Amino acid sequence: MLMALDVVAPALSGAIQGAVYGLLGLGLVLLYKSNRVFNFAQAEFGTSAAFAVLFADNGTGPLPNLPLPLAVVFGLLVATGLGLLTERLVVRPLFSAPKVTLVVATAGVTLLLISVQGFLAGAEPSVLQPLFAGDVFDTGSVRVTRQQLVIVLVLVVLAAASALFFSRTRTGTAIIAVSQEPTATSLVGISVTRTSSLTWGLAGLLGGIAGILLSGSTGFVSPGSLTGLALIPAFTAAVFGGITSLPGAFLGGVVIGVVEALAQSNIPKDVLPGSGRVVLFVALLSVLLIRPAGLLGKEA
Amino acid sequence: MTAVVDPPVGRTPPAAGPDRAAEAVARPRREFGPVRWVPRAVVLLALAWWALVYVPGTFAYSAFAADACIYAIIGLSLNIVIGYTGQLSLGHQGFVGVGAFAAAYSLTVQEVPFAATFVIAAGLAAVFALVLGLVALRITGLYLALITLVFGLTLEGSLFEIPRFTNGGAGQPADRPQFLFDDGRFYLFCLAFLVLACYVDYRLLRSKTGRALLALKENERVAEAFGINVTAFKLIAFTLSGALAGVAGALFAYRIGIVTGSGFGFFLALTFVLMTVVGGLGDRLGVIMGSSFFAVLPFLLEDSPLKRAEEAIAGVLSFGDAGTEANIIQFFPQALGALLLLLTLVQFPGGLAQQVRPFTDWLKGEPFDARALLPHRGSSGPGTVEGSSVRA
Repeated sequence: MLMALDVVAPALSGAIQGAVYGLLGLGLVLLYKSNRVFNFAQAEFGTSAAFAVLFADNGTGPLPNLPLPLAVVFGLLVATGLGLLTERLVVRPLFSAPKVTLVVATAGVTLLLISVQGFLAGAEPSVLQPLFAGDVFDTGSVRVTRQQLVIVLVLVVLAAASALFFSRTRTGTAIIAVSQEPTATSLVGISVTRTSSLTWGLAGLLGGIAGILLSGSTGFVSPGSLTGLALIPAFTAAVFGGITSLPGAFLGGVVIGVVEALAQSNIPKDVLPGSGRVVLFVALLSVLLIRPAGLLGKEA
Repeated sequence: MTAVVDPPVGRTPPAAGPDRAAEAVARPRREFGPVRWVPRAVVLLALAWWALVYVPGTFAYSAFAADACIYAIIGLSLNIVIGYTGQLSLGHQGFVGVGAFAAAYSLTVQEVPFAATFVIAAGLAAVFALVLGLVALRITGLYLALITLVFGLTLEGSLFEIPRFTNGGAGQPADRPQFLFDDGRFYLFCLAFLVLACYVDYRLLRSKTGRALLALKENERVAEAFGINVTAFKLIAFTLSGALAGVAGALFAYRIGIVTGSGFGFFLALTFVLMTVVGGLGDRLGVIMGSSFFAVLPFLLEDSPLKRAEEAIAGVLSFGDAGTEANIIQFFPQALGALLLLLTLVQFPGGLAQQVRPFTDWLKGEPFDARALLPHRGSSGPGTVEGSSVRA
């Protein structure tokens, strides 16, 4: 039986889901650009931030009962702190180690963060209210919430801002210089360790923004929830758009989100179960085989 | 026996070498002659009795011991990719799953003889590895980690859910033949496969392929300049690794008796990488020990000194809050694994292998050198294994 293809609704929801992937992918691109490493802990910076918002908002444990905006600031601080801590305790001792070692270490950080979240909150999902309640529009088949609109806007602004940061500011240029030639960079007076701290702190912050917005949008947070929901598509999006290109993360995210949603809503489960993942795999393989630099990436 | 024992090339941790030699010259050791083999033989016989008689005879141990053997085979398989070739595979649970389903499907649905299911499992997993490797190994750098990761998840979410092969959510049964019903016997059966895997691994390292792999791990460009076909040898290693993982998958299927697709997720892949790295990349014994440890960790946390340590830690960290204490106990194995991994990478790059080296050296007839147990960062950097390092 041939069904009419279901296009408009999944494409729209896919694009919004893709914005989430792109937001997470932004941090991945930042760390690849600056450290030449895939950071598997990126999503967990986000989940930790979402938990921090939840705890601060509820006044759990020793925390005072903060109003939501302050709780969000607290969550972002936690995420940034986690980025800095990861850099100091794991990345810096492994500075001259092979990159594979560093990638394994970030996977270790992921596991550790998930278990700490588990220590504090348990395995059951906790309910998290969206920061921005209400819908932009809801036609029955298509529904866009305010939170989703904010995610898209934040992604556009952040992608543009961080692209400008790398191309226009001295600090951004210094980060690129360190990634290309650490020894020469320190010879001209740029502190390699401070640059490294800065990038990991920024990556933590980006992860935190993504985590708080996404968890508010799905309405729950549980240990490792972001890794499970979005890390792999975010990686695929980042590679698809060009792992060194910040606007590429945005574009890749949207493309991956749309294609994934179209596949899931049009390929029946009994023909091919898990079609979303198959699409991710095919997209990743084909982009790496045909154009390894990605849509907008260049070898730099 | 001469006073100064020449350390076998590459077996001694970098920092310990010269010091030990100097110390031996300064303070000549007593010579025991052939008598020194007596305590070593006693220890070896005790270990053999424990592994071959005591564990299979003890009902509570044998099922977990079988798990340990299966994990050890997976560890050895992953070690070929990470430890020898310097690539990172995060999709090995996919190959294990392919092996498990291939064995279960061919035994239960196609009614293939029991022995042949192992050949089918190894073959099919090897084909998957070969095809994935053909595509992925042409891309250099860290991308293999990403592709294998997505590959594993795709298998879990898609192929392992196709009802015709995997019986959907109900799972594909894989019943052991009559003579292996007993868990003790099944453990010995798995142990035999582990010995076989060790032999394959040993032969691999001592072949032209093994030397080529170690060379290309050190530096791909230099290896290529010496006429080594980098992609071809990586592909051989990856395929062999897939075959071993497939055999482990078949054993896994018979161990639990029914295979379901949901068990082969991302965290299993992480556990596999974790146990291999903590064991000590590139070192056969270390990898086997690391893998067995993570396999029996749930058992150790049921009843052992580790259980009491876990409860004590949970009690202190939770400040008396019962809910938090339960959470800590639930997530304890994961936290322990992650901490061990990070500690290994940052402080003890040689892994467990480095920690047991004084004992294994002693068993080989050398004096006991306790200083090799101390943390040290060798000049060759983290990931150092037998005088070499893992490279992207």
